Amino acid sequence: MSEAYSSGVGILEEKTERTLVIQGIRTHIIEAGPPTATPLLYLHGAFMGNQWLDVHTLLARRFRLIAPDIPGFGLTERPAWMRDINDYVLFFRDLLDTLNVKQPVLAGHALGGWIAAELAVYYPERLQALILSHAMGLRVKGSPIADIFALSPQEYLRLITHGDPTSLPFWPEEFDVEYQLLQYHERTTLAALAWNPGYDPRLAQRLARIQLPTLILWGENDLLIPPIYGETFRNLIAGSELVQLPVAGHLSLIENAEEWWGAVETFLNKQDRSAQ
Amino acid sequence: MNKLQFHYFHLMPWPDLPADFDERYDSAWITLPNSIYNPDKGHFLYNRYFDELERADKLGWDSVIVNEHHQNAYGTMPSPNLMAAVLTQRVKRAKIGIIGNALPLHDNPLRVAEEIAMLDVISGGRIISGFVRGTGMEYFSYNINPTESRERMEEAHDLILQAWTRPGPFAFEGEHYNYRYVNIWPRPIQQPPPIWLPGTASSETIDFAARHRYAYMTVVMTLAQRQRAYDMYRRFAEERYGYEARPEQLGFSLPVYVAETDEIARKEFEKYVMWYFHKGLKTRPEFFCPPGYMSERTMKGLLQSGLPGAKQTFKELVDTGVVIVGSVDTVIEKLSYYSEVLHAGLLVTGGHHGQIPDYLVLKVQELMAKEVMPHFRDKQVPLVEPDIALMQEVV
Repeated sequence: MSEAYSSGVGILEEKTERTLVIQGIRTHIIEAGPPTATPLLYLHGAFMGNQWLDVHTLLARRFRLIAPDIPGFGLTERPAWMRDINDYVLFFRDLLDTLNVKQPVLAGHALGGWIAAELAVYYPERLQALILSHAMGLRVKGSPIADIFALSPQEYLRLITHGDPTSLPFWPEEFDVEYQLLQYHERTTLAALAWNPGYDPRLAQRLARIQLPTLILWGENDLLIPPIYGETFRNLIAGSELVQLPVAGHLSLIENAEEWWGAVETFLNKQDRSAQ
Repeated sequence: MNKLQFHYFHLMPWPDLPADFDERYDSAWITLPNSIYNPDKGHFLYNRYFDELERADKLGWDSVIVNEHHQNAYGTMPSPNLMAAVLTQRVKRAKIGIIGNALPLHDNPLRVAEEIAMLDVISGGRIISGFVRGTGMEYFSYNINPTESRERMEEAHDLILQAWTRPGPFAFEGEHYNYRYVNIWPRPIQQPPPIWLPGTASSETIDFAARHRYAYMTVVMTLAQRQRAYDMYRRFAEERYGYEARPEQLGFSLPVYVAETDEIARKEFEKYVMWYFHKGLKTRPEFFCPPGYMSERTMKGLLQSGLPGAKQTFKELVDTGVVIVGSVDTVIEKLSYYSEVLHAGLLVTGGHHGQIPDYLVLKVQELMAKEVMPHFRDKQVPLVEPDIALMQEVV
């Protein structure tokens, strides 16, 4: 991990990795944190599978963290039939069953946030709370999400970072053929799900069904998915809370991990108090 | 049987790019502002281009060919079937090729089946129907999911072929295209019109062409790459489908320029053909290969070799056989390699590149028709103008 992001979080918590077969798909899962703690299912953003970042460490301090690689990213392959966001919703419902996880907190970033929002629409009774970080899934007319597919890998990394992209933990040593092929492979999954439309046209209407405690996190300088998307999620999910992080881009959970986690903790503590 | 057929191809480019195009724009496609296009000049250009095609017909070329591209300066024929409709009224003898309609871009490919059938009936059965997937750029311009490109291509092909040849009404039940009633009026004269598939040598397309016995046409590649593509076609035909591929199944589309001497030809051709490679084809790598458009194996090859023509010099393009340029003797020698050694029987070329003046286009058209073509024509059957009156009598 890069020095720039060691940011006082301290030494890494112990993590374990395993591969489980879910819907016939060999699924790579990273787990960490106290086994008896409340479970938290974390769904990563596109191109961020099989990564262990500060944010994982922070989450694992409080939760039994379950961080699978989304099919098509990291070490989990995507079968050809899997090409619709609903396939992913059913996949992660089955993942919860396979792991026998009851009432987890569900957190998702960007693409993972889209899947999380859909899961919360369809299976709210299986979840305890929802955390959406810079989530995809909606369209706000006049404020399009940037066209990732038109950007080179370098341009993409520059767009999503607010600070120096070269100090990102996943800035490659070289943009060589191997790296570009991996990007092409993972972009193919994103394209299968989100080329056109790059959102779920039915989601805005359905978000009103969510009654879970919901936290929405956004960086005020997110150039990929503009902050107006955070406001739109907040307006559509009754009782949800929006925290906008200043001086933060699309990767607030990496570049501003402490603030991001601070907002999550504040939200969770509030939930705990109201539950007592 | 002629050793080589001569097909005259036009891209109908928009040649007038700004002087600072190279520095200012990274693509002649998708994002190049259309304020650069001047409709009044466009009116002149379209009609000049039609004149060139009409001339090719009169000079004895076997066909005239148009194709489909969107939102770009490289080729301004977003609706190739419209262009073919015009040609049915201007071109009286030659076949008319649409090489081709970009099937996956169409949400309703039955429309393509109908339009080709109309053109075939109007032209008296002179249509050659190419099917293409379209360039990667087209998937941005039409916002079609590139990960579904091959599936849509194969399914639209099946639909169109059935619509042309199977008595209707019948139902077509596909994953991407679904119809309760397929029953096109009119039906085409040819059952079916000949189908050509242009390709950049991906094994998937070559297999598809070999399986259906369609003509496979190599585009923008070196002689060595074309040779490998033909070998693959012949191997698939023999080993997988049990037949021997004929020269009429192997085509090659490339710029050919012929002039009085090798030196004159090179000197005259260089700047015009380099417009095609360095300006017309210029685009962002991300536009050229959107995710899922190519197999990862093909993508790897492309990443290693770079975009076709993007960096090569004129000399490299000539030396590797991406283009053919020279005197009549030189051009005959190079084309003979295709017909004699590679046994490829369909030459597809045009005289128009960039801002080339019309008198040079005319010179190439005439030298090709009068000096080069006869070398490859069957001596027993000299080319003659068909007797229209006689044809009408027969009808």
